[in-house]
Amino acid sequence: MERRTFLFGALGTTAALALGVSLYRPELAVEEANDEEHRLLLKVLLPVLLDGALPEMASPRDLSINRTLNAISATLKVLPQGQREELFTLLDLLENRLGLLLLTGSMTPLLLRSHAELEFMLNDWRERSIELFQLAYLGLRELILASYYSCPEHWVSLNYAKPELPGITDKR
Amino acid sequence: MAIVDLVREGMAAGWRHLDGAAWLKSDDNARELEADVIIVGTGAGGGVAAEILTAAGLSVILVEKGPLRSSSDFDLEERTAYPNLYQQAASMKTADKAIGIFQGRAVGGSTTVNWTTSIRTPPNTLDYWQSAFNVKGLSEKELEPWFEQMEKRLQISEWSFDPNRNNAMLKKGCEQLGWDYTVIKRNVLGCWNTGYCGMGCPVNAKQSMLVTTIPAALERGATLLSRFEAVKIEHQGDNISGIRVRARDESLRTSEKELLLKGRHYILSGGAIHTPVLMLRSMLADPHQLLGKRTFLHPTVLSGALFDEAINGHSGAPQSIYSDEFVWRDGAAGALGYKLEVPPIHPVLIASKTLGFGKSHAELMANFNQLQVVIALVRDGFHPDSPGGTVSLDGKGFTLDYPLTASFWLAARRAFASMAELQFAAGARKVLPISDGMGYLNSWDEAKAAIDNMALAPLKTVVASAHVMGGCPMGEDKTKAMVDSFGNSHYFENLSVMDGSIFPTSLGANPQLSIYGITARNATALAARLASLPKTEPKSESATEPKTE
Repeated sequence: MERRTFLFGALGTTAALALGVSLYRPELAVEEANDEEHRLLLKVLLPVLLDGALPEMASPRDLSINRTLNAISATLKVLPQGQREELFTLLDLLENRLGLLLLTGSMTPLLLRSHAELEFMLNDWRERSIELFQLAYLGLRELILASYYSCPEHWVSLNYAKPELPGITDKR
Repeated sequence: MAIVDLVREGMAAGWRHLDGAAWLKSDDNARELEADVIIVGTGAGGGVAAEILTAAGLSVILVEKGPLRSSSDFDLEERTAYPNLYQQAASMKTADKAIGIFQGRAVGGSTTVNWTTSIRTPPNTLDYWQSAFNVKGLSEKELEPWFEQMEKRLQISEWSFDPNRNNAMLKKGCEQLGWDYTVIKRNVLGCWNTGYCGMGCPVNAKQSMLVTTIPAALERGATLLSRFEAVKIEHQGDNISGIRVRARDESLRTSEKELLLKGRHYILSGGAIHTPVLMLRSMLADPHQLLGKRTFLHPTVLSGALFDEAINGHSGAPQSIYSDEFVWRDGAAGALGYKLEVPPIHPVLIASKTLGFGKSHAELMANFNQLQVVIALVRDGFHPDSPGGTVSLDGKGFTLDYPLTASFWLAARRAFASMAELQFAAGARKVLPISDGMGYLNSWDEAKAAIDNMALAPLKTVVASAHVMGGCPMGEDKTKAMVDSFGNSHYFENLSVMDGSIFPTSLGANPQLSIYGITARNATALAARLASLPKTEPKSESATEPKTE
């Protein structure tokens, strides 16, 4: 039950972290490799979690997704090791047939599931009373939403911009 | 208008600063540094203590596990601020993940990133500490001169400008309902009213420790070690003989390269959680098993509201109004009370602390500038069913187990109702209690019924905290306290604790001014005691002199 314990033990990137910039050095090469593998998975989940926020047009939409994926990578790098490991464990489970079966009741890879099926999966986790599923939902939700909204490129739809302070912000 | 970065200027002028990451790369093999007083932590407690002790002519070494960042580094972006300035990149949570905790971790501690609200310790709290925990000498009257001293030092005064729209709605709701409200006092000087206090003040208006007491101490010859983590307190009998600190690299990974800091006296100011953790890790005497217990958070629930008019909650002083209408209504030890305030509204904070995903979340974010948010901070630690949380060591570091009790949920439900009533009274079109399963509510009548029946539960209801207190309580009764009413250890003759961990309960108010005032009192007494003893000349074992970064 190590896997279950692992997820129960954590999985909660608070959102408040989402960093589109890499302020610290990457820690391990193996994590870099994991990160690359997980981009494919996250690329499938992003349009579901960010439905209504991502641009409709193909080109800006792709740009926005890639920008968010980069922000997620940066977020993962600055998380405390324990939390990073927990998130990687979740992502590993979602790429593993037995893990998928445990978390979703089906071995069908997420890459082959429709938008509606993925939305159903997330809502199912969200509404479950078992912590394991709630933590999986919250972990992904917070990682992706916080990373998306950390990017200044995504603030236009909010009509939000940081203030311009002459002589201060223009020098940074 | 150019802003002087007084920290960088001070460093250039020769302040004694040793950066752990730079030291790791150097071939310096110093093993030991010595001063009269070693202070672990540079927040509200450590900063004030350092200034007072150096003013008394004592030599001081300050240790901070976070980096040194100053106004030139503060770019008003959450993605930069959270990893640089907050514990665990602002991702710290309780063991069950039900409460997200914001706590500073950089030179200046939480004072570098707080929202500047400055409130004296409520008299009800002081009275309760005296009666329930045998705390001596901390009555409202006895503390008054210390608060006056720190209010003057940190330019704390009532915010004289109009509140921003987010705060104005809190005020309007209170006025409509005849509820108590107060204009907040803030520790600012020449504030630009931009609303980005939580990301570090870019214009040095916030009178945090970073720009006040720490520079004053450095001017008087104190040494600052940043990116050094205190890992162990060396002790024998009733004496502390040193504190081992390890350098941290740019990724804030703790290395094996360490220094032994030796002093006549040691002050722990790492804040609630980290002070008890260091004491636990060092296996200090704790015969009554108090360390880490009774850790309090002011666990906070949130209520969003949509207004027709623009709120622009990101702009303007983040907090300028609060309401104590419900804090003490049932007496100190009665049903848990709650304080009403508002938070600043910035994209990452709001995106993460709201509900759902996809279209519903995008719709909420599209109304970003019409969104008003009220928060209710629950006063924990007074009621018998509010024992707070427990900090304990685990294999990798620590955990904070904070069960949310039935009495908390009772308070949370009442708080959701109060917040909705207030928001509708202020003119809200819709109100959204931030708890999964709730939708937009269109009137106070609808809200009242829905909140009566709403499901509240860990992980379903968003609960956050920005105030960590307790875990190393003060008082004269050793069965209830680790330190006396002056913050001095009951078990070690040369150890004191000066931070929020000494509070026997939560405060029922934002904590910074309580820490400033009580530390000023305790550090002044300590300085008088130490000044009468033989002095130590600062020295290091090798020829190494702390260098500027």
